[in-house]
Amino acid sequence: MTFAIPTLETPRLILRAPRAEDFPPFAEFYASERAKFVGGPLTPEGSWRMLAMEIGHWALKGFGRWIAEARDTGEAVGLIGLFDPEGWPEPEIGWDIFNGFEGRGYATEAALHARAYAYDVLGWQTAISLVKPGNDRSAALAARLGARPDGDFTHERHGFMHVWRHPGPSELADGGVEAYA
Amino acid sequence: MPKNIPVIETTRLILRGPEPEDYPNFKSTFTSYRARFMGGPLNPYESWMLYAAEIGHWRIRGFGMWMIHDRDTDETYGMAGGWKPAMWPEAEIAWVIWPEVAGRGIALEATHAARNYFYRQLGWKTAVSYIDPKNLDSIRLAERLGARKDPAAPTVDGHDVVYRHPSPEELDGTQLAHGIEMEIGHYADPMFKPKGWALD
Repeated sequence: MTFAIPTLETPRLILRAPRAEDFPPFAEFYASERAKFVGGPLTPEGSWRMLAMEIGHWALKGFGRWIAEARDTGEAVGLIGLFDPEGWPEPEIGWDIFNGFEGRGYATEAALHARAYAYDVLGWQTAISLVKPGNDRSAALAARLGARPDGDFTHERHGFMHVWRHPGPSELADGGVEAYA
Repeated sequence: MPKNIPVIETTRLILRGPEPEDYPNFKSTFTSYRARFMGGPLNPYESWMLYAAEIGHWRIRGFGMWMIHDRDTDETYGMAGGWKPAMWPEAEIAWVIWPEVAGRGIALEATHAARNYFYRQLGWKTAVSYIDPKNLDSIRLAERLGARKDPAAPTVDGHDVVYRHPSPEELDGTQLAHGIEMEIGHYADPMFKPKGWALD
């Protein structure tokens, strides 16, 4: 099977396909307490399967999540992009920042470009982000991105989550990057 | 690492990479009782995540599980190939056959071809299969493929039994290889009527 994972560039990040070399920082994040809001903590095997799943997501849906790589150091700083596995309420913009890279605005920068890609390239008319109760930093980021609370969703594995609804393409000039960056 | 998953053709089968349109068949088996020895039954979310991981496994490792298709009708029969998530002691040769097509020697034919590919094209020197000790059909298939229990080899989680496959040399023009191919030949013969219990 052939499928392509596009590469996007932002001022400080390269958003690119997940690959084998990403496993150490990926597994470290998903093994940590910080991952409790996004389905963790996971065993190393569970993290590896998830990394493989992120690649397969692109093949099955035509979109997915990118590894965000810092342009200056080449380090993988997070997993950010578009997520819609079976049983998801609707396509989501998600952001997981790996340990040690929080507080630098990377999630905002990457999420804005992921949202612009969803609207401008894929033609999405709306997008949500799911945030678990207590994940205040993620909720604050959703609010900074212009999203508003829009009900909740309970998933059989991830449990109860708040739905944040992003402004649609018509509410954002030029897909949103220029409007909010 | 090859971006394209290789295609393998056998007497009755074509093995190709897992495609999005094959997912419903995968889900049907993995959400069923048939998956009880493979970590299942899975819920639909887990099943989808596993199928996506099957595809990603190829990109990360350069090998993985093929989808088994009928050469003529293209319908899917199951999967066979290699599997090695992080922390697994060794690369595994694995198979799963949809329950409705069990008993036709499809797993034998597909897994034999996959193993030959790993040995001849990828240079594997050995391989194991991790099998639930209650999964008698899979143990029988491992034995028909010439694998033997390897009590000294590390298991995945202590609840599985390790079967060690014959080495490339043990399958190179040997009586064992001939026997496997003869059995596959029987199943490929439309006049062949297997007796006894259903075999994968």
